[in-house]
Amino acid sequence: MSAATATVPRLAVEIGALRLKNPLLAASGTFGYGVECAGLLDLSSLGGLVTKGLYLEPRDGCPTPRIVETPSGLLNAIGLQGVGVRAFVEKVLPALRAYDTAVLVNVCGDTVEEYAEVTRIVDQAEGVAGVEINISCPNVKKGGMAFGGDPRLTSEVVSAVRRATRLSVIPKLSPNVADIAVFARVSEEAGADALSCINTLLGLAIDVEARRPRLAFGTGGLSGPAIRPIAVRMAWQAARAVKIPVIGIGGIASAADALEFLIAGCRAVQIGTANFVDPGIYDRVRAGLEDYLRRHGLDDVNRVVGTLRYPGLPAAEELGG
Amino acid sequence: MPSDSPFTAANREAALVRRQALDGPYVLLTFEHPEVAHRARAGQFVMIKAGTSAEPPLRRPFSVLGVDPEAGTFSLFLKAIGPGTRALAGLAPGELAQCLGPLGRPFTAPAPDHEALLVAGGYGIAPFHLFAEERRRAGGRARVFYGGRTAADLQVQQPFAAMGIPLVAATDDGSLGHHGRVTEAVERYLDTTPGPVTLYACGPDAMLHAVARLAARRGLPAQVSLDPWMGCGIGTCLGCVVWIQSRAEPRPRYRCACTEGPVFDAREVVWPGDEASPARRDELAAPAAAAATEAR
Repeated sequence: MSAATATVPRLAVEIGALRLKNPLLAASGTFGYGVECAGLLDLSSLGGLVTKGLYLEPRDGCPTPRIVETPSGLLNAIGLQGVGVRAFVEKVLPALRAYDTAVLVNVCGDTVEEYAEVTRIVDQAEGVAGVEINISCPNVKKGGMAFGGDPRLTSEVVSAVRRATRLSVIPKLSPNVADIAVFARVSEEAGADALSCINTLLGLAIDVEARRPRLAFGTGGLSGPAIRPIAVRMAWQAARAVKIPVIGIGGIASAADALEFLIAGCRAVQIGTANFVDPGIYDRVRAGLEDYLRRHGLDDVNRVVGTLRYPGLPAAEELGG
Repeated sequence: MPSDSPFTAANREAALVRRQALDGPYVLLTFEHPEVAHRARAGQFVMIKAGTSAEPPLRRPFSVLGVDPEAGTFSLFLKAIGPGTRALAGLAPGELAQCLGPLGRPFTAPAPDHEALLVAGGYGIAPFHLFAEERRRAGGRARVFYGGRTAADLQVQQPFAAMGIPLVAATDDGSLGHHGRVTEAVERYLDTTPGPVTLYACGPDAMLHAVARLAARRGLPAQVSLDPWMGCGIGTCLGCVVWIQSRAEPRPRYRCACTEGPVFDAREVVWPGDEASPARRDELAAPAAAAATEAR
């Protein structure tokens, strides 16, 4: 190994105005409000974390059962149980400020105005780096996926949130659409700084003995390694459709999984379901990323972003990008 | 997130030290895990999965059966009936599991003059081994009521005999002890004993509910260890929530069994099917409201 590749590769990435110390974030809904995990890992070692979705008011969420295991996956219908944005800002955020990591708040709403109002409250708080707009939760009756499944509504919500804050605005796109590139473009035009791709895939698991859904809500959102190829494909499509950075999400459980998204064009990734399986995953993935970069003689993680050698498409670096 | 106990869980690889097959699908497994061995209290649990394979995806929660602080080991009692439990039961000594613990709130000790009645259904016996040891060390009295479908379900009796703790068996088929429900055996004992008691229960939901009703009827303190489907064990997946009506709050609230339980005061649990259950209320709300009006 040469002296140059023996040094620690740079992992810092930029998501618009956001500077992350590494490209690994904890995904919304899999990491609580962050503080729950503080006893298990050093939150300051994360590139960032995205909170559980927050509305103006506290919510009970869905009845139980809320989660079922499926092959290499998890189907959930939690229904955005949460403490509400004000309680988060008053009671949780002060504790999070002790950590040197980017805190993104996942904002929800039943109406466009609610998204904007939640964002305004977050905008006034100290210690928040950005908002991720939840327009893709499949487990609520109003809002959620309804906004993310209609380009006009997506545009309205992103514009409203954009007007409500100077923080980074990152819509989390739904995979439950025919062409994610359309939603990526309208989000970019509406002022998004970056995109999170993807949320869970709408699924249904059936108890054949009872002939009932296995989740109390009925349908749920599928996550975990089962969805990774779909997520990589959709993140790749979104990244090709826009100039703003894309954050890849979907079934990441190892450094190789994270690299799939980076190579596909994502500037960062979020780890979701794997947090439930192993809260110590970040050290393992970060070490794996560094190892990969060294083996490939790269001194900076940004140099793998968008380097997919796809038949008929030259890799970004080969294009001189 | 809200927890009045310091977080003491450690996440580590845990080697299987000993595997003791019992009758049928039951097995005792001993793992090396110093933090669990030193810190676990009765009623606490671990999230554990065999190896690092993707299947099944999630870890499983198990009550800590026993600990050996000197050896740095703890043991689990499990019934290998699903993919997760079968993978664990299939581990050979020296093989690794991924283990996070100890987690959750333990049982609260009874008043000093109370006899602890430990009511177990099937593999719900698991937390009571450690609890019996704690009671014995504290010089308190304890008595075990152990129910199952058949004698072969009552696999963990010897440790209680060794501690000199009386055990009353109950089986649905009458193959061992009282022929019938374990709660009937508890009632019989209550009818004969004059002393103050606190009930502790771990087992199937129906049994827990029966113990809660019994305790309410007789005005006895009772703690139940709930076992809902659990994804993470640390309060982030929100999969294991149960309705809890705290006396300090105006309405029931979903609480995580992993961080705010699994042990709850039986009086605070809103049981599915109960009139007061918000889930039941929601279920009845729309269609039943009209029907109820008509019926009047």
